[in-house]
Amino acid sequence: MPLPSQPTDARRPRAMVIDGAWRALGPDLESLSGPGGAPLTRTVKLIVLPLIVRPALHPDFAVDFLAPEPAARLDALIRESGARLVATAQWFTLLKRTRRALGVVAGHPQDLYFQRCFELAAEHGEPAAGAGALARAVVEEVADADGGRTVDALKRYLADAAQQARLEGELAVAWEGRLSVPAADTAAAVALAGEVLEACGGAEGPRNSPSYMSMVEAGHGELLGRALWVHACGVWGRGDLPAHLGLTKRQLPPRPEVGRGASTATLPAPLDRTLFERLFVVLQSSARREELPTVPELVGREVGRSCAPLGLYDESLRVAVLLGGQLAVGLDPLGIGEPAPGHTAAHRAVNSRWRREASVLRARRMTVSPRPDPDGGVLDALAQDLRTPWTAYMRRLWVRLHGRDVRDAPLVDAASAWAVLDGVARSVMMDHRARVRSALRTLSASAAPTAVPEAAVVAEAAESRSA
Amino acid sequence: MTRASVEVQVARGDDGTVRVAGPGVGPDFTRAVLDVAGAVLTWPVLEDPVPPSAEIHDVARAQQWLWAVYGEGVAVAVQACATGELSDVRVPADMTPLAGGAARLGFGHWAARWWPASYLDGIPALQPDVLGLELVALTHECQQLFDDERDQPDDCVGELIGDHQVALDPLLQWWHATPPSTDTARRLERVLRAVDDAADSTESDGEALRRLRWSLAQPRPDSAPVAVDPVALFVRHDDYALAAGEPLVAGGRVIARGAGTNDWRRYPPGFVDAAETAVSWTARALGARRQIEVEVVAHIAAPTTSGPLLVAEVGVDGVRASRVPLARRDDVWSGRADLDLSAGETRPRIEIGVLLPGFDPGPGSEGGADRDAIRALARRRLATAAQPFASNTSAYDGSSGPFLAEIAAATTDEDY
Repeated sequence: MPLPSQPTDARRPRAMVIDGAWRALGPDLESLSGPGGAPLTRTVKLIVLPLIVRPALHPDFAVDFLAPEPAARLDALIRESGARLVATAQWFTLLKRTRRALGVVAGHPQDLYFQRCFELAAEHGEPAAGAGALARAVVEEVADADGGRTVDALKRYLADAAQQARLEGELAVAWEGRLSVPAADTAAAVALAGEVLEACGGAEGPRNSPSYMSMVEAGHGELLGRALWVHACGVWGRGDLPAHLGLTKRQLPPRPEVGRGASTATLPAPLDRTLFERLFVVLQSSARREELPTVPELVGREVGRSCAPLGLYDESLRVAVLLGGQLAVGLDPLGIGEPAPGHTAAHRAVNSRWRREASVLRARRMTVSPRPDPDGGVLDALAQDLRTPWTAYMRRLWVRLHGRDVRDAPLVDAASAWAVLDGVARSVMMDHRARVRSALRTLSASAAPTAVPEAAVVAEAAESRSA
Repeated sequence: MTRASVEVQVARGDDGTVRVAGPGVGPDFTRAVLDVAGAVLTWPVLEDPVPPSAEIHDVARAQQWLWAVYGEGVAVAVQACATGELSDVRVPADMTPLAGGAARLGFGHWAARWWPASYLDGIPALQPDVLGLELVALTHECQQLFDDERDQPDDCVGELIGDHQVALDPLLQWWHATPPSTDTARRLERVLRAVDDAADSTESDGEALRRLRWSLAQPRPDSAPVAVDPVALFVRHDDYALAAGEPLVAGGRVIARGAGTNDWRRYPPGFVDAAETAVSWTARALGARRQIEVEVVAHIAAPTTSGPLLVAEVGVDGVRASRVPLARRDDVWSGRADLDLSAGETRPRIEIGVLLPGFDPGPGSEGGADRDAIRALARRRLATAAQPFASNTSAYDGSSGPFLAEIAAATTDEDY
């Protein structure tokens, strides 16, 4: 079969057009380029696309393939920015040097400085006299941008005994004041969740199911949250699964405590966490902390949030918990289960991702036995986690949704909900691989069976970054 | 940048994935794989360099690199399959520099897991930290393949530097001791500079990295290089001697002995010598008792342990009967167990496999011929690596030629 069009007269990959224009700008872009001369992936993502190409202003650039005429215009656009890009590259080199001299290590320099360098280049051109002082000011300003939204500030704020007592009192009142109306039947909500998931993850990409918004309007997420408070069973169509799917280790979620410390390695299940632990995860991992509420506001709002259904205020985020639960109970990471009823396009998409992962893990000699093995030790425990994938999935999902709730970032439609659900599925997969790697390393280093550091928990700290 | 062109098939699967199919592949241990943005790339390590097979699950993300790996024609064909314009098409693919770099990165990850190190076969191990640092450099050189979505485990420069930076100082010494005109010196410098550059764009930091940065900023010491033995620089504790070990006090009368199966897929790297003959057994009669003793030659760098870790799976006359725990004793893993043989059974058919419980994916297809082919590949590569001036063609395209870890292994003085 012939190709529909020959590359010469037709559309070209946008990435290729950008690469060609970039290389034509010559060798002065080294600090923004990879070893082969191509722009760094982050240069494209953080500078070229949002600041030069600006697809929002030029819709004909907002595609992966460009016709000859837009391709020529895009090429010209990048070349015109040559002088500014060269100056950007010089500012970036200077900022990195300054950062090193100041001993700043937190954060990824490209994430932190790329956009600032582009602005500096526009304003000042190439670094000239006085550039050193300017660079120093920028590095310090970026490092201080969190405005005191830190774990230390949280610790200080909660250290005061009177403060603790006041918050404990507020928590007690809020917990007692929960709506104690018996939870309605969740069956209809779960059925709708199936419809939404069927519309996600199809071969044609996610379709926006109207059922999603009706679930939000009907308060189906809140319904699930209330079901957790009365320990409903059978919510997920399987009698052996509790409604909470591991969001708490107890039968019912306990009343949140205030708390005064946290350790990434020993964080309890999400709904068992103290106020401190919930906010610790947010503060420790957020990339743009300056956008968060201040620490007193964070704490004040977390009191109400932690006593709200599912520990979340926003109903769209609670509905995402319901969708995620329905997805997670049908996952089959080990590829051993029977195709079960209730499986949707979303399940097929994630399970096929797991099959691909399993094949890669075999090729990388990082397997776990699919069948339970009493002699299997740490590795068998990891396989066991894959047999109950909802625990890890819900834990990850909750942290991500909580991060969004703190930032007032609801999920406005089914497609954005699916992006989160799918992203969590990928994170759980990454966690599994990291834990297998760590377990194998421990086994090879000293054959004495020791506990595997819980990579999942460590990785969780990076969670709300993507929220 | 087109150097050669081969045809690949591009087709759309039922689940919406688009596949770029290269040659078929064999058992797990003959496949090099790489997780990249929106796809998984696969190469058969036993065949000549070819464009990889790709299973593309996110076409939009993959369009960032498809053109640079396969050329524009394949990128267009993948797009046409993704939109449903085409379902199946054959198009010429270019052999691009990025395809070469990706293949080398994939091969390096493969070698870190499956290199058939064996004392019995005379195939030395690859020093893991040297290989790890070269993977840092290669990952950095292939940065176009990865994006920011945090779902590509092979985009792992930071982890690799953290795990393997102990080899930075020795690599610097090796570089300084190598005549600058040689291919090996150029390779060393290239790797060291790439590690420095890669560390600079991650959050990596540490003493060794600072010394590296400082050294690279200095003019190279021009004192005449003193020859160093690269292996000696990286020795950890590989003082391996194939001692016979004290025999298990078994006694009794030997009634049968034989070789077992050494299926690499059933235990992790670094535990068992990769030779086909590494697994052996002896059956004895002690009065009415029948006992089997299993001996497995340990990998050169196997963990020393007092407790059992690996087990032998013992099958008698086609029945998978029991597990025998194996403990490390000098250079062998060994264990012993009673054998349930019917009285008068004089020629039992005994099958032995060695595995790590919890890891073992289950017995696989017979792979003896493929294992032999892998050993031959390793020997060929080591022979090439032993001749530092023979492979001068590829110093700067990076896609072929021996890894530093192979050069170090091939020039080892140890008595393999």
